[in-house]
Amino acid sequence: MNTNLKISNVTKIYPGCVANDNVSLEFNSGKIYALLGENGAGKSTLVKILSGVIIPDEGEIYLNKNNLKLNSPLDAKKNDIGMVFQHFNLFETLSVFENLIIDSDEQRESLREKIDSIMKKYNFSIDLDIPVLNLSAGQKQKVEIIRCLIRNPKVLIMDEPTSVLTEQETSELFLSLKKFSEEGILIIYITHKLKEVMQLCDEVAVMRRGKLVSVSEIKNENIESLANKMVGQNLKTIKKKKAKNSSDQLIKITNLNFTSEDPFETNLMDINFSVNRGECLGIAGISGNGQSELFQVLSGEIISDKNCIEFNNNYIGDLNPQERREYLMAFSPEDRLEQAAIPQMKIFENVALNNFKSSNFFNNGLINENKIKEHSKKIISDFNVNTDNIELKSQFLSGGNLQKLIIGRELITSPDLLICFNPTWGLDVGAINYIHETLIKINEQNKSIILISTDTDELLKLSDKISVIHKGKLSKIMNAEEVTSEKLGILMGGAN
Amino acid sequence: MIKIVKRDQPSRAIFFFTPVLAIFLTLVAGGLIFFILGFKPFEALKFFFIVPIADKYGFSELLLKATPLCLIAIGLSFCFKSNNWNIGAEGQLTFGAIVSGGVALLFYEQEGFYILPIVILAGAIGGMLYASIPAILKTYFNTNEILVSLMLVYVSKLILDYLVVGPWSNPEGFNFPETRQFSDSAKLPLLFEGLRIHAGIFLALAAVVISWFVFYKTYLGFQMKVSGFSLKTAKYAGYKGKKMIILVFLISGACAGLAGVGEITGPIGQLHREISPDYGFTAIIVAFLGRLHPVGIIFASLVVAITYLGAETAQIFMQIPKYTGQVFQGMILFFLLASDYLLFFKFKFIGSKK
Repeated sequence: MNTNLKISNVTKIYPGCVANDNVSLEFNSGKIYALLGENGAGKSTLVKILSGVIIPDEGEIYLNKNNLKLNSPLDAKKNDIGMVFQHFNLFETLSVFENLIIDSDEQRESLREKIDSIMKKYNFSIDLDIPVLNLSAGQKQKVEIIRCLIRNPKVLIMDEPTSVLTEQETSELFLSLKKFSEEGILIIYITHKLKEVMQLCDEVAVMRRGKLVSVSEIKNENIESLANKMVGQNLKTIKKKKAKNSSDQLIKITNLNFTSEDPFETNLMDINFSVNRGECLGIAGISGNGQSELFQVLSGEIISDKNCIEFNNNYIGDLNPQERREYLMAFSPEDRLEQAAIPQMKIFENVALNNFKSSNFFNNGLINENKIKEHSKKIISDFNVNTDNIELKSQFLSGGNLQKLIIGRELITSPDLLICFNPTWGLDVGAINYIHETLIKINEQNKSIILISTDTDELLKLSDKISVIHKGKLSKIMNAEEVTSEKLGILMGGAN
Repeated sequence: MIKIVKRDQPSRAIFFFTPVLAIFLTLVAGGLIFFILGFKPFEALKFFFIVPIADKYGFSELLLKATPLCLIAIGLSFCFKSNNWNIGAEGQLTFGAIVSGGVALLFYEQEGFYILPIVILAGAIGGMLYASIPAILKTYFNTNEILVSLMLVYVSKLILDYLVVGPWSNPEGFNFPETRQFSDSAKLPLLFEGLRIHAGIFLALAAVVISWFVFYKTYLGFQMKVSGFSLKTAKYAGYKGKKMIILVFLISGACAGLAGVGEITGPIGQLHREISPDYGFTAIIVAFLGRLHPVGIIFASLVVAITYLGAETAQIFMQIPKYTGQVFQGMILFFLLASDYLLFFKFKFIGSKK
């Protein structure tokens, strides 16, 4: 049976912002629809309206010509609309099975059979009886999907599903989504990643600042045309000039090993590499192959043998991050909200987290607030952070602005080496472009970068040399010109 | 039509207004309860909140009760501000009292200026030791500090029970569950002849000033705050996050221990079973009512202290059980949490739309 979902003149206004401005759209099953837009374009609001989380100020929703009144997520479920959110809604300490049955009143036994048959049908392999916290991001997402499938949905909405997935997991997800679509489930796919839209979808609706900008078929579009519609202006393409072949070595890692007590961490084995001044070394890999551990070893959150890390002719393996900063290293961790910054603290307090001696943020154990504030203002203006209020809690900054603040905080010391881990994770095109430009600028100033990233395009764009990490081991270091994304893919899979 | 709208940012003015609103609502609800019980609401509230502090003696009693509340709440604010949920201050108070009481008993029948400082120090150390248990278990074994600190309260009370009934009971005390009276050198000096208010109030005031300074002005305070929000961030910034967690517990334990010392070397003068009418628990309410801010905590401790006194007056003059005091404390917390909703949401009046 055909499913027809119609959004008619939906408007949602928040204080100071029109999240959805008179949006009308129509979807039919058998196709995969992309809802494309930058962060803050209003796409999440729209799907939250569809899933009953938000009630629109105006407008109607029709499913197969029936007017739906969605006052709660439960209403959406009753009307066969399933939704997988960007951030998982799972109870980490409960088992997979418990998570799946939590909102159902069917019999446990029959549900288990049903779940088993769904998993078999779509080739999902997840142990139902282990706690969710032991699952990878990709597996957690599958649990969320199964939770929707149990209810035989007519509509399945996926909100930025690949932001936490590896390339492999992404392609698995796409296969599943195509299968669902063939079976008659209407799929609405929300994203800001253009490549995915081209790969997966049949039709695309672009939103910008709460308004629907265009609806078109994918075959009439290409990445550039979509990007321009999404951003509303022509994006300049940035290109990195090839680094001068410097032989001035900045950091050298020798025979570095790390064995973790935590069974969910990856051990690092026999890591050896060096980076010259002005160079960017990219480290590719599928997430969970030791990137996080490598970052921590390099930043000093995990301390290693003194002699393992030689930086600027000093042995610093046994120093903590603060001490390493004094040698002009800087770090931008992957997790913006839980590690690199504290959302509940003000912007200027977050700036003080990068405390190096010459900053004079703290004198004789006392806080020098004026100094910190002065410094924060400089970062905000130098790095285009879109606010002028340094007393603002950083939770009110968008992802892109927060990342600019963090990178700015790290770079304001003009470090010799910046180590960053997935610096553009989850950001919109504009912010990604800005961060990329900044990183290229660093190299041009003869400073070095170690870029650990799961985004191969990013690595190919920014790196001079590339290595791949797999199960805690680094591949040999290759010159970026010799590398293609196919070759990286093979190495990331563990082949030689 | 009234619409509830989320605020863009929590309002600063509302932040300090909600405690006042909570107190007002508590009075209204309290009056209503008295009315249902068959009393005249205004008269009953007068007995509860005004009569007890109408004279010099009453005012001294108010400060006497507010002292331990303030001291403990100041300590707790360190924990709460850094997301460590130490709710076992009552236990730390009790254990501090046990240790300092033990030291005071050692100096039984001795005189000397050096005795009181030793006794006070012993109390602080006792509280710290006791608070270090949930702290170490939390940082190194990932236990939940709420559970551990709460359960340790009952352990400490049983230890006290055992001591005052058994080994430390007064040999000339006809088997009453109490120790000997401490010597005068182990007691906090009284401030005024005939009033019970004692020098412990200076400890509380010192704690207020020191805590304000440490938390808002020092690098140490900043590190505590960061570590409390996220250990990962602390590690990334190069702080010793686990040590910071232990430190806030120790500060909190020391304050609770000092409150215990103040009670036993002040108005009580010995150890017995009931050295604290749950000051350690009530101080949690004080800490939040005072918005975890040192100055706020001073006011909050005075407000909450009245409920102790009011309950006693009400028992005497109106024959209602003194547990009414706890009802009032509960209501304050309840209304405070409820009115905190206004921090994040506001009411918007909009005309009906055609």
